[in-house]
Amino acid sequence: MSAFLARRARSTLDALEHLVGGLGTAILAVATLLWVLLTAALCVFGVGLLIVPATARIVHTVADRERGRISRWGEEVISPPPPPYSLRVVTDRTFHRELGWLVTHATFGFFVGLVGITLPLDVVHDGTLPLWWWAVPEFVAAPSLGWWTVTDWPGAFFVAFLGLMCAVVIMIIGPGLAWVQAWPGRALLPPSADVDLNLRVAELTATRAAALDAHAAELRRIERSLHDGAQNRLVAVTVLLGAARRALGRDPATAVEIIDRAQDAAELALAELRTVARGILPPVLADRGLAGALEGLAVSSGVPVSVDVDVAVRCPASTEATAYFVVAETLTNIAKHSGATSASVMVRRDGDTLLARITDDGKGGADEKAGSGIAGMRRRIEAHDGRLTLTSPPGGPTTLEVELPCGS
Amino acid sequence: MRIVIAEDDPLLREGLALLLRAEGLDVVAKTERPEPFLEAVDEHKPDVAIVDVRMPPTHTDEGIRAAVEARRRRPDLAVLVLSAYVEQAFATELLSAGASGLGYLLKERVGRVEQFLEALHRVADGGTAVDPEVVAQLLTRTRPDAGLDRLSAREQEVLAIMAEGLGNGAIAERLFVTEGAVHKHIRSIFQKLDLNPSDSVDRRVTAVLRYLEDSRRRS
Repeated sequence: MSAFLARRARSTLDALEHLVGGLGTAILAVATLLWVLLTAALCVFGVGLLIVPATARIVHTVADRERGRISRWGEEVISPPPPPYSLRVVTDRTFHRELGWLVTHATFGFFVGLVGITLPLDVVHDGTLPLWWWAVPEFVAAPSLGWWTVTDWPGAFFVAFLGLMCAVVIMIIGPGLAWVQAWPGRALLPPSADVDLNLRVAELTATRAAALDAHAAELRRIERSLHDGAQNRLVAVTVLLGAARRALGRDPATAVEIIDRAQDAAELALAELRTVARGILPPVLADRGLAGALEGLAVSSGVPVSVDVDVAVRCPASTEATAYFVVAETLTNIAKHSGATSASVMVRRDGDTLLARITDDGKGGADEKAGSGIAGMRRRIEAHDGRLTLTSPPGGPTTLEVELPCGS
Repeated sequence: MRIVIAEDDPLLREGLALLLRAEGLDVVAKTERPEPFLEAVDEHKPDVAIVDVRMPPTHTDEGIRAAVEARRRRPDLAVLVLSAYVEQAFATELLSAGASGLGYLLKERVGRVEQFLEALHRVADGGTAVDPEVVAQLLTRTRPDAGLDRLSAREQEVLAIMAEGLGNGAIAERLFVTEGAVHKHIRSIFQKLDLNPSDSVDRRVTAVLRYLEDSRRRS
């Protein structure tokens, strides 16, 4: 129950943050809408035509702000290419959609945002009323939403109860409000279907190039580990065997000692070959599937890890291998850097997407730019056209979320 | 013979030192990075340096650059470069300023101790040792009409061994023929390829390698 309340409180705070952010873009939208109306009015006299391109640019900039805002939570809203900044803009589909959003967000979104910030203020006002109602003039002490004034203690406590109810209402409808406020943006601001396809082609071209890069880097890594590892060990074996052969006639005892060392070197070579092979495709993945392989990782991890894998239909080997490596690397990072006492791994298949979430209770503050191997993971994931999200506020907890497409 | 080793893989470094010491050779320093290697060359004044091509920090051609630098500081230092695989560009870079007192061998040749020691001594005495693999690559990649097809099969064999850096006597030994026969073959080879004949092994090797390299580049 308390876990449910904590989760609910958290999502309510998130929702309030979104509502306030939405109010910010709504205020921009109001100002922009006024400017658009002014431009339209001036067009009647002709001079407005001169400022149409500049107005279109402002509308697109404001819309981009909203795209950025709602992309930070929920599904990403991709920015379409800017409409032409000339008179031709009046026939442009993207511009029409942005105008539609502008009108809705400047009115409806603005109103929802206002409600969103007023309600918490009401909670504070009403909830603390018993503490100060007696100290203010008679007609000031009143509930936020009500027409009567408070004149005695029971009345004050009744208002405080109303404040509490208001808080409950916020917890219930808060996330919904934030969703409703963002809805016009989500519906109107993504590129329209034809534009979307072009963007998708461009993105695929880029990720394909990244895939080739990642592939080349992977081959280089394998080549390097073969040359510097197993091959060097085998060269040492031949050197030692050569030395042993020379020593055989002179001093058989030394020869035996050298052969021992040669054998050690050969065993090292074998061990390194196994490591390289495992790095290409972990055999455990083929034998025991993703769930079994991840269980194995959890057992050998430095911190206690709970694993929850529910993947009914298996994904392609390369997708599973990527998920496996990301979890392996993240668990290593957690053991090395986070100071966590426990971690959890959750893997689900949602339609054609493999979702993985790795959370720890460590000190947070993981930074992709600090060279923690996260950038490498991101490249590897983006090569599969997947997505990686890292949330690691200072003080923790750290959550890494991965989405990998696994349809054909 | 005083030897300095530069090899970053510990197992190989120790194995090499063990082998050389067992042969009564004096390994005066073992290093694993280019800078300490150059310091050791300055300090110990060795006769020969054995250098691995790949060394930290980038594991690309640090060894070649260190070898070239060591030779710049001490031109009479013999250098034997060991490589995990044949990289034509490295061999060419190393041998471009003259092949005297230089060697480029694959690492696994060290296991054939007699041949390795022979190459080591040859390099220490101012001669040349080029890995048969390097020569083979040059020969196979050379344009067919580069003049090589004018050589007889035996002459091609002699050319390949000569390019490794062996002298007439050693070539004769390897082919089980008399030195006089080798001498005849070599005169004929130089004639057919328009090369300047010379008694010095270094100049012969350089001439042969240049010839192969040039005909490859033209193709």
